[in-house]
Amino acid sequence: MEKGHAVSKGIGIGKVLIYQQFIPQVEPTIIEDTMVEQTYQDYLDIQAKANQEIEQIVQLLISKQDEKHKIFEAHHEIINDVAMAETIENFIKTEHYGHIYAIDEAYKMFIEMLETVDDDLIRERIADLKDVKNRLLRIAYHVPEKNLSRLFEKTIVVALDLYPSDTATLDRNMVEAIVTEVGGPTSHTAIIAKSYQIPAILGVKDAMKTYNDGDTLIVDALSNELILNPTDAVIQNYIERKKRHLEQQNILKTYLDKTPITKDGIKVDVTLNIGSASKEEIALEPYVDGIGLFRSEFLYMENTHLPTEDEQYEVYKRALEGFKGKPVILRTLDIGGDKTLSYMALPKEENPFLGLRAVRLCFAHLDIFKTQLKAAYRASVHGNLWLMFPMVGSMDDIHKIKSVIEEVKSDLDSQQIPYSKDVKIGVMIEIPSIILVIDHVAKAVDFASIGTNDLCQYLSAVDRMNPLVSSYYQSYSPSMIRILKMAIDGFNAAGKPISVCGELGGDLIAAPILMGLGMKKLSMSKSSLAPIKHLIVHHTMDTFKSLAQKAVTLETEKEVIELVQKTLQEASHD
Amino acid sequence: MTKKQVLVTNPSGLHARPGAEFVKVANTFKSTIKIMKTDNPAKLVNAKSIIFLLSLGIKRDTLVELQAEGEDEVNAVETLCALIESGLGE
Repeated sequence: MEKGHAVSKGIGIGKVLIYQQFIPQVEPTIIEDTMVEQTYQDYLDIQAKANQEIEQIVQLLISKQDEKHKIFEAHHEIINDVAMAETIENFIKTEHYGHIYAIDEAYKMFIEMLETVDDDLIRERIADLKDVKNRLLRIAYHVPEKNLSRLFEKTIVVALDLYPSDTATLDRNMVEAIVTEVGGPTSHTAIIAKSYQIPAILGVKDAMKTYNDGDTLIVDALSNELILNPTDAVIQNYIERKKRHLEQQNILKTYLDKTPITKDGIKVDVTLNIGSASKEEIALEPYVDGIGLFRSEFLYMENTHLPTEDEQYEVYKRALEGFKGKPVILRTLDIGGDKTLSYMALPKEENPFLGLRAVRLCFAHLDIFKTQLKAAYRASVHGNLWLMFPMVGSMDDIHKIKSVIEEVKSDLDSQQIPYSKDVKIGVMIEIPSIILVIDHVAKAVDFASIGTNDLCQYLSAVDRMNPLVSSYYQSYSPSMIRILKMAIDGFNAAGKPISVCGELGGDLIAAPILMGLGMKKLSMSKSSLAPIKHLIVHHTMDTFKSLAQKAVTLETEKEVIELVQKTLQEASHD
Repeated sequence: MTKKQVLVTNPSGLHARPGAEFVKVANTFKSTIKIMKTDNPAKLVNAKSIIFLLSLGIKRDTLVELQAEGEDEVNAVETLCALIESGLGE
């Protein structure tokens, strides 16, 4: 059976409940003239019954003071929508569709219409429309509602997928874990599972066929394993593991405010990756050594127009002031590839990841580039700004960047606009070619930060968005470790700062190797801060160094992972 | 027919709650009411339908045009424009 994605970490042990929503089979049916009035009345009855069911759910959720009653109020709005009502009435009265066929066609039509809208908020609404459609058809077929609101034992829910209707009323005390056949890390089910802290593995092919009602199943969403009908000894073992995991979660939280110093007294900088300089992000300032990656593209992606110089200035100023003189690494616009802007028509490319993206796109649109640089320099007087340029592939790129910066500075000078003279200029290391000339790069710029996600993709020629080749995407491969070592050595030799801001910066397997290779600054998302600090304060730099020395000599990714796990385990027993 | 253009300024645009609020008020009028984004006049849709409204994907800072036809058209357009200008409770 194919492995799924463990989207919500934890361990669940319980009895399988195969949760099969009603899946309607709808045949095209055309009715006689004489049946039209009765058919339309049938539809109105179904609509009334659906409204009644939804009202009951709303009342139940309100009585539990659950905010999700709003989802179901939106379902009322869909069912009673004027355009929907007109369409169904027209299908029955003019086209002479049977009521089931009319419902199915009308909802399908509107769902298709919304699917053309490129907007995450709308996609949630599509799930609502499908949900409502299933409810109407189920009532039309006289099938009673099945739901997860009252369960009598610890349950593992196994389903094709879960809709808002299923998750909103789900009995959180009894559901131990969720397993579905479809859905990835950003699906509705994933979001709900995480917010309820229910362990979940999604995208498990054939799960509905593999398991049966009443089977005992262990869902280990820590190591992405599913164990069917385990022995009592195995169950005991997992009960222990589950307990330890929960305890660990609680301990980890207490590490957020620790200073990241190894047992042998080496300080490592732990910094944060941010997207918008929101209040929540700035509130983390006391716990970090600065911002290791400010993804400025969010400013562009969340907007309906190109953000103006003033709009950008305000956001950059907020981040710089919020971090009180600590370094803030601002990455300039990184779009193209998988990231697009709704208001800017970018040419369609055969290979967007190898195309006109990031700094290349900025070179092609100098006005956009200069607006951003001007806003950043204006904001530089409010803090400690480090400017980082993504997708730099050669020294030519670095020379071009520097000449644009000079132009921007002389514009500011001629307008007598003040800016800091200490802005640091750096590059993001993600194209392997730049590492082969790392000695030149380290001389030419003030700092560098490694974007490990793209570096791995470009190094191993694997499209990281293509699931067919995902097993070839090996972030811990010895080749990755060797090329990371070259980059780190190059900058350390020149005495200039280097950090890592990709996924690996907050990764508990990679971080020990990176530190052992000489990396003094790791940047990560909020959720990794406490686990990484925990790792640093419980080990010595010596352990990390000897680990890194061994890792570069290994042959396969598997060996690297085993080495890290074994070394850290032994070290923690010392 | 009465027409008027108005800029959507509330943070989430005409989505979810604010969109539903707008549709609720639109349905209190007898006139037929239509709405479009000024940069895409080809897509002129029934403003009394939440589904059609969602299909426009109206985000913050979008200029929209309302068109109403019927006995209370002036009142409808004025009320709905004022509602959008007020930020739809956000």
